[in-house]
Amino acid sequence: MALSFLMLLLTSAAFAQTVVKGTIYDTDKNPLPGATIQVQGTNTKAQTDGDGKFQIAVPSLTAKLVVSFVGLETQTVSVNNQTQLNITLKSSNDLDAVVVVGYASVKKSDLTGAATTVSAKDFNKGPLNAPDQLIQGKVAGVQMINNSGQPGGASTVRIRGNSAITGSGQPLYVVDGVALDGRSARPSTSAGIGTAPDGNPLNFINPADIESMEILKDASATAIYGSRAAYGVVLITTKRGKSGDTRVDVSASAGVSNLAKKVDVLSGDEYRAALKKYGLKNGDFGTSVDPLEAITRTGYNQNYSLGISGGSNGNTFRASLGYQDQQGIIKTTDFKKYSAGFNGNFKFLESKKLGLDVNMISNQYLESIAPITTDAGFTGSLISQALSWNPTQSFYNPDGSLFIDYGSTTINPLAALAANNDKTKVTTILGSVSPYYKITPWLEYRMLASVNYSTGIRRASTRSTLNLQGIQPDGTFLGGYASYSNSELITQQFTNTLNFNKEVINKLNLNAVIGYEYSNFMNKGTVNTATGFGNIAADYTDAFQTTAPANRTFSAFNSPVTELQSYFARAILNYDSKYILTATFRADGSTKFGPANRYGYFPSFAAAWNVKSESFLANTAWLNQLKLRVGYGETGNQDFPSGSSQQRYGFGNSNGQPTLVAINNANSELKWQSDKQFNVGVDFAVLSNRLTGAIDYFHKTTNDLLFPQISFVPAVGGNVPTWVNLPGQIINKGLELTLNGNIVENDTYSWSLGGNATFIKNEVQNINGTIKTGSLNGQGLTGVTTEVIQNGYPLFAMVTRQYNGLDANGFSLYTDNGFTNYFVGNPNPKVIMGLSTNFRYKKLSVTANLNGAFGQSIYNNTANSVLAISNLGTRNISSALVSLPVQESLANPIAASSRYIEKGDYIKLANATLNYNFGNIGKSIKSLNVYLNGQNLFVITKYTGFDPEVNVNKGVSGVPSAGIDYTAYPTARTFNFGVNFSL
Amino acid sequence: MKNKYIISFAAIAVCLSGCTKLNEDLQGQVGTAGVTSNNVSAVLSASYAAMIGPYQAPWNWSALQEVTSDEVIVPTRAGDWDDNGAWRSLHLHKWAPDHSRISDVFRDLNSITYVTTSVLGFSPTPSQAAQARFLRAFAQFSILDGWGQVPYRDAGEDVTKPSRVRNAADEITYLITELNAIIPDLPTGVASIANKNAARTLLMKIYLNKGAFLNRTSPTFDAGDMAKVISLADEIAAGGYALSTNYFDNFAPNNNIISRENIFTAENIAGSSGSDLDGMWKCTLHYNQNPNGYNGFSSLSNFYNKFEASDKRRGATYVGQTNVSGVRVGFLVGQQFDQNGTPLKDRKGNPLAFTPEVSIVERDPNHLEVAGIRVVKYAIDYVNTGSKKPDNDWVYYRYSDVLLMKAEAQMRTSQTAPALAIVNSIRAIRGATIFTSLTLDNLIDERGRELYWESFRRQDLIRFNKFLTPWQEKPTDDPKYLLFPIPDNQLGNPNLIQNPGY
Repeated sequence: MALSFLMLLLTSAAFAQTVVKGTIYDTDKNPLPGATIQVQGTNTKAQTDGDGKFQIAVPSLTAKLVVSFVGLETQTVSVNNQTQLNITLKSSNDLDAVVVVGYASVKKSDLTGAATTVSAKDFNKGPLNAPDQLIQGKVAGVQMINNSGQPGGASTVRIRGNSAITGSGQPLYVVDGVALDGRSARPSTSAGIGTAPDGNPLNFINPADIESMEILKDASATAIYGSRAAYGVVLITTKRGKSGDTRVDVSASAGVSNLAKKVDVLSGDEYRAALKKYGLKNGDFGTSVDPLEAITRTGYNQNYSLGISGGSNGNTFRASLGYQDQQGIIKTTDFKKYSAGFNGNFKFLESKKLGLDVNMISNQYLESIAPITTDAGFTGSLISQALSWNPTQSFYNPDGSLFIDYGSTTINPLAALAANNDKTKVTTILGSVSPYYKITPWLEYRMLASVNYSTGIRRASTRSTLNLQGIQPDGTFLGGYASYSNSELITQQFTNTLNFNKEVINKLNLNAVIGYEYSNFMNKGTVNTATGFGNIAADYTDAFQTTAPANRTFSAFNSPVTELQSYFARAILNYDSKYILTATFRADGSTKFGPANRYGYFPSFAAAWNVKSESFLANTAWLNQLKLRVGYGETGNQDFPSGSSQQRYGFGNSNGQPTLVAINNANSELKWQSDKQFNVGVDFAVLSNRLTGAIDYFHKTTNDLLFPQISFVPAVGGNVPTWVNLPGQIINKGLELTLNGNIVENDTYSWSLGGNATFIKNEVQNINGTIKTGSLNGQGLTGVTTEVIQNGYPLFAMVTRQYNGLDANGFSLYTDNGFTNYFVGNPNPKVIMGLSTNFRYKKLSVTANLNGAFGQSIYNNTANSVLAISNLGTRNISSALVSLPVQESLANPIAASSRYIEKGDYIKLANATLNYNFGNIGKSIKSLNVYLNGQNLFVITKYTGFDPEVNVNKGVSGVPSAGIDYTAYPTARTFNFGVNFSL
Repeated sequence: MKNKYIISFAAIAVCLSGCTKLNEDLQGQVGTAGVTSNNVSAVLSASYAAMIGPYQAPWNWSALQEVTSDEVIVPTRAGDWDDNGAWRSLHLHKWAPDHSRISDVFRDLNSITYVTTSVLGFSPTPSQAAQARFLRAFAQFSILDGWGQVPYRDAGEDVTKPSRVRNAADEITYLITELNAIIPDLPTGVASIANKNAARTLLMKIYLNKGAFLNRTSPTFDAGDMAKVISLADEIAAGGYALSTNYFDNFAPNNNIISRENIFTAENIAGSSGSDLDGMWKCTLHYNQNPNGYNGFSSLSNFYNKFEASDKRRGATYVGQTNVSGVRVGFLVGQQFDQNGTPLKDRKGNPLAFTPEVSIVERDPNHLEVAGIRVVKYAIDYVNTGSKKPDNDWVYYRYSDVLLMKAEAQMRTSQTAPALAIVNSIRAIRGATIFTSLTLDNLIDERGRELYWESFRRQDLIRFNKFLTPWQEKPTDDPKYLLFPIPDNQLGNPNLIQNPGY
């Protein structure tokens, strides 16, 4: 009733006045429904309708209209004697924009730390599986590499350099206030042929549901997350509904993928020529095949997403559905993802002081995995079997059946594919409820309770048809291997915060939060394996009972529960929007820490000065923003297994006797790894905000390095370490530059260009002795490691024999005959960069995203052990070997050396999109866009492997590695055609 | 309004007072408090299981004793077995403190002493305690043999702190006292359980090697120690052991049943043990043999030539093996066949004929895969190749070793006649001609022929002062190689002093 009365008033008031009509667009020329238009200096307001159209009564034709829309820059427009106005709202550079910083939001202008927001419109486009891929190359200081081309495969994200000498080194991900465990419930047990690469733990989030991602880089921004923040924090905010008409967003795309780049091995004819050159009589089987082509295919993908959102009176909702099916370019591989999400934001009471946010993400993904492993020995895995397959030998017998050479250790890659069946299913539900109450306009209490439950099942088998020892039938052994494993990952979080935001005295504003948080983390599962199935007419994993009981294993695990109890507080003091001080403190108590160090304390301080707000710059028109920031803080990392501080015994069985096996060495002093980071930066905007940028210098010192140390003997044996905090430091320091320019912008065309570059130096200091990692695999490389963590070197410095070419007999020459190893490669890039551009002509636009890294080395384990010259006569070799100036001896030993260290510099056109914006079609279809998208369009590099963007896990006993390539899943080039529109 | 305010603060205050005490729940595992007298046997079983890793494979303790000797070479074969020079440096006596085999074996032998010591902390029965102490002494003897100093801890000690270390002399005294103390409590039963005669054999080895361990460059032999060796051998003889007519029965899949020679073994139950024992044949067999091997470990022609053709230990067919795959037991020389007598080929299509000629780095592409005589000591368990868990029990101590040690002690105390009689009794059973006289040279050779590839050769060569002599594919040497280096990852322990020369 009150509302209609108000409407009546407005209408009657408008009666005597002039009416201005128009349409509000965004920069992509999409009409904006729900934008607000207000006559400046009055209470007269209007909203755009579903087509972005509005009409409003103005007192005179010289009035001004203030046009606003959430997330876009507010604009003031003079009516200027027009009655028809088309207004374009730019995306927000607005200093009043609100950003999420952990447990609260602050105005962007109040930020004192190094944090970068990437919103949906700037995400990388295409059929991407996981959120981290959306921001590759977008943020200075963030290196994101896809570990391989495997759909849904793991990635490596390093924020401000690498300081992880153990664990994942990945940042903490927080989805709508819920911190993720970081692990995945996808079981790792494969089909008995080696270690399969990991999946991406973020696969459960549908990229189409993400509104923005906030990357917190320096310690003053991350310290509020305490003992989990040292590798940086990524805050993911999902899309919300907006008040207004219910809106349906639809997007669909489909496309094809193909192998982006081949590894150069000999063709059949080249192989024959090489045999001749070497005088080898055997090894030509008379045909020509392309093994890489035989195991790859054109992969099809389809992606659909649907979002329904709306709401009224401050109660909003959004529901979403997503389906993705991405075939891999390796035959049989596939990644399917089903997702459904719902979030609702409700306000209660007449006063609207009580509110409730609910959020749910549910997801299931299904993978079909090829027999590709990270640690294959001399019998190889699919990629090495294909690369090294004799190209003169057919895969098939004359009768058309697969050629399988029983008794030989050479494996037909097609037989390996045919024998393999490896499937995972991971189901995740993340739910949270967050009630809040506005006690006063400046004080709010909020609670958040969440459960993140994820369960994974993996059924993997290798059929007895494969000529692999332990798999093939042998005497009374029927052959074949299968595993069935499952895993559950459960995280619960309970957060209470009290937010305070008030001008406490004249011009001095205090924005503060204090809170308490409790989280727990559980991980349990089982692994069943069996051998001796024979060639039965059923999938092995459906018929474990056919095997002899002695050939079965069954084991279960339930890791010690980790509990985390935290108290935290942050205060932001802002004086006159000129001087801003932030202080943060968190106390984290964790069950993982030894009894002597149960609580860690993480303070940070930062200050910012908005120089532009000073009176002396008020008249400097060309300068729109100038802000100086400085900060210091301490953060931690507790990425080590639970139970590490305690003496533990595990239940086992040996020779039919139950055993209690000591499985951990106690360390009551064990604590978090601690980072101290100093940051100084400047943000600026000039030329009417057309050119914006930031420069940051950081210096990060990592202390108390968590490390699985080989104990002082006597101690628990094997690879069971003692977890210690190693004395010594890892220093990462560097400079980050970001520059974004709107070079041209008008109704007809616009062109923007953005880029970032990071210069990083990494060094290890004051560590005792040498930690070896980076294990190599394949024939001749058993027990060989190639990377070290050692004083004065960068992290994971490649230290191996120094190769000096071939002697006259074709044998390798090494400095000091190979008895001494030298520092010959650095896997850490010196420079990482990203470049984005968007060009629009009327309704047609082109977006391109490039990224690159320079100065890093890659160890090519594939070239070293899979394609060596000694294969000639039986298996294939690298093409480069036949054109060496000296003929390499067939007896030249396969040995690790700098010969296989290659320059990894690259620049890659990661994705590009050509979009045509039809706008509204008829009455119901709105903002119809049709696009063509390409992924991995080209890469400029000298690296000879599939892709210089590679990181195969070659760690040793929990110590990771970097920059080693070993028969990884090759990268695909993908083209997609897509459409999206709203209803 | 004020009330709500207070309530909210109170809610937070409740939590501030401590919602959880942060005690870590171990779930599927137990802490020290979870081990009771009821499951001491499980910790003892874990001690036996801890022996598997370092001992039951060709590439651990066995490699340190054998690849460093004149019995075994692992040549670099182009694509295979370079492994950063790990195998070459063992045979050439050029290893360094970062050698991964040496480091891993040192770590794993010490883990046996750790696990066995922890048994003692949980109130074991006298028999359980004696077994644990025997296994500890057994592992410590290997550490003494290899490194000349032995780290130790008490049960429950903090492993983040350095362990204490006994020097060779103290360790020898300690081991003798320890073994004498536990023999009464040890069982007399089967070979696969720590037993009285196993402890006596270990004591014999301690007395026999004592003068060598204390002075490796010129070993001495105390008459009193030798008398102990002889008397212990006589005590063991009362156990009713006898030499097997088929030498290879001692290493057969069912050796627990058919061998009467084995004094101390590690039991492997078909399909369920965690042993790498199949590595003993896989390390040496060619890729194209059955089972497919790794084509690595070989013997040397100078060693092979120490055998007479009639010597049954040199090689034979073996029922259950040769008829299944064509592979013989003992030394494999020349053309290899499958079970049907069809000659096998190597991967390049050359005849698979193992040659006596072998080089530390093979440089002829056509000779690479066939170079070197192969050795199959343990008869292959084809029934369990699928599970890769063979039935063969691992052999630590055999009676023939006891007899040869007794003969050696007699000889070193001028009792040549009885010593010769013992050696000839063994040779007769093995099909070798009898010796007319016994010298240290033919005694060490006899030990080689009887005990090849059984992880004793380095120790024996050091005791006979022959470890540093040049031999096939090892031209030079240095006295520092009489001891292995303390692994560089252990030097943070100030009580462990790096051995001289490293």
